[in-house]
Amino acid sequence: MTSKINLTIGWLYPDLMSTYGDRGNIIVLQKRCLWRGIDCKVRKILIEDDPRLVLESDLFMMGGAQDRQQQIVNRDLVGQKGEYLLKKLNDGIPGLFVCGAYQFLGKYYKAADGKIIKGLSFFDLHTVHRGENVDRCIGNISVQWKNHQLIGFENHGGRTYLADKSQFFAKVIKGYGNNGEDQTEGMIRKNAIGTYLHGPILPKNPEVADFLIEKALEMKYGKRFQSSQLEDKIELTAKKAMISRL
Amino acid sequence: MTLINIFILLLARAVTFIIKIFALGAGSTWPGHIALAINPHIGREILLQNKIRIVLVVGTNGKTTTSKLLRTILEKNGHKVIKNPQGANLLNGITSSLLSIASLGGKLDADVAIFEVDENMLPLVTAEVTPSAVVFLNLFRDQLDRYGEVDSVASKWQNVLKQLPDTTQVFINGDDPQLFFIGSKLKQKTYYFGLAEKEFTVKQIPHDVDSVYCPICGKKLHYKGISYSHLGDFYCVSCGFKRKDVVDYYDMRFPSGLLGKYNLYNLSAAAIVAKESFLLTNELIEQALDDFSPAFGRQERISYKGKNIFMLLSKNPVGFNQSIETVLQHYKKKKNNVLLILNDRIPDGTDVSWIWDVDFDRLHDFADKIFISGDRVYDMAIRIKYGFDRDVKIENSLGKTIFENVVAYEQLKKAIDHAVSSSGPNNDCIILATYSGMLDARKILVGRQIM
Repeated sequence: MTSKINLTIGWLYPDLMSTYGDRGNIIVLQKRCLWRGIDCKVRKILIEDDPRLVLESDLFMMGGAQDRQQQIVNRDLVGQKGEYLLKKLNDGIPGLFVCGAYQFLGKYYKAADGKIIKGLSFFDLHTVHRGENVDRCIGNISVQWKNHQLIGFENHGGRTYLADKSQFFAKVIKGYGNNGEDQTEGMIRKNAIGTYLHGPILPKNPEVADFLIEKALEMKYGKRFQSSQLEDKIELTAKKAMISRL
Repeated sequence: MTLINIFILLLARAVTFIIKIFALGAGSTWPGHIALAINPHIGREILLQNKIRIVLVVGTNGKTTTSKLLRTILEKNGHKVIKNPQGANLLNGITSSLLSIASLGGKLDADVAIFEVDENMLPLVTAEVTPSAVVFLNLFRDQLDRYGEVDSVASKWQNVLKQLPDTTQVFINGDDPQLFFIGSKLKQKTYYFGLAEKEFTVKQIPHDVDSVYCPICGKKLHYKGISYSHLGDFYCVSCGFKRKDVVDYYDMRFPSGLLGKYNLYNLSAAAIVAKESFLLTNELIEQALDDFSPAFGRQERISYKGKNIFMLLSKNPVGFNQSIETVLQHYKKKKNNVLLILNDRIPDGTDVSWIWDVDFDRLHDFADKIFISGDRVYDMAIRIKYGFDRDVKIENSLGKTIFENVVAYEQLKKAIDHAVSSSGPNNDCIILATYSGMLDARKILVGRQIM
């Protein structure tokens, strides 16, 4: 038996919550592990799958989708899978939850027709959709996360409000972020990140990818990991090119 | 003909003349634009004055090719056909095309009009134009920043069909579950086209799908086989919703210039309209397409500096995946250079996230060298880099190999020249490009931009 360092990424609902190229986040996480000699398995977790797959994951990723798909997922997540997911996230297992998935982890989503859709309440936030007459938040976005500038693309109709604004994931430099009003973008709690950044977020912001990988390894092996430096020149060039355009 | 319309027709001629004289280029929609500002209903008024059958072609991919196939079939069989100019698939483009051929008395020298219509603009177009037939080719995610999600497009189409007269014939891709569902609700006579069973060679549902959950009960659909994306022989085990009464492409002789399964759909769509609306036989349809040449940029072959270029417009995940599939089927491995052009202008969509839904990794074993260019050259470079299984060292100076067999340029002309000059004498250079990238490349290759 080799005891090679390994990770299992639980990719939640890839066939439903994957409208905006968020598969890229999975590819980036997997390859950055692979390139460092870390064994990385991607486990797709579908509606029809056993909820226990959630418990076997060391890192989660879930993307965004349109309303119909979100409703299907919502019905599934209020059951056992959601319960297990909450347990793991509360234990500190890291995750990346983009757009619709981010909204799901909040307390509730108020649809344009006033209907309230309950979320998992992992993040203390709520999201409001004010209807088709209010412009969607669409465009390239740049934010500050720790000492890194991140870039991405956002496209969301809902506006998200954090109960405690200091729990934001990043600070908006250019773009809308959570709501276009308070300069906050996303939320971070324990080791889970919720964000509106597509692009997808990880390819041009490898710092976030490495943060997630390090946290996952730390939780799994109980010690700090400093991931080895990868060749990120092209990523940083792409990031610079976009920043200079914004 | 009202005086105001005669005035508009004169004005449109003057505008067209000025555009031509001063070579203002992409001016094909301006006459229509100005005309609509003066009289928003001029298109309808001209059409009503003429006995003309109108066919609208709608869908994410294949509009231009299907329209050209149908136009070719009809013209070869004695019809006089009007079309909208390339890329001008909004109301102003359609109006422009009418103004450009109408006499000052408003007479059109044609008996058929084939208009390709932008997905989102269908309601605006049908408010002015009453079609005798509408063709729905497919519905895939595309430019989500501009079109929104597929469900909102689908509901727009559904509303349009509710308002159209019972006499309008509706032609629907029956392999697309969401479109099939729309068809099942219609009062109009509806025809379903699709592919023959032997084309459903994909057994696992691929990643680049949008509609694999039952539109009636929300359960996941099953497939006996898939042609690509979510197109195939679907059925729902839970509520019984399933594909049926789909006419496949009649085993027709395929026009030699066209490759790929997506063109089988385009051919199938054009053929079913020619048969059911214009009562042509298979033989007449086949003969008409004998020397068919593709629409520009859509599997177009161009000769440049003594080399052959094969250009495939590839503008969304499904389109790009199908382009890659087609070149992999058609060419031998490790022989040809592939140039990828990724732009993010309005006609391309400003969000390039979708490239991560495209299986570019398949090009690593296929291309002799991969070249990259376009407004978002670096985004594409990252995407290609993540196709490697190891951390590739980067020379990261443009114009040199940035990783093994991959060369990137900010300037498109340099990328094209390098890709072409390093192609072997008997090998093609394959260009896969988003919409504006395709236009830019064409301008370099043939010296002018057609719009």
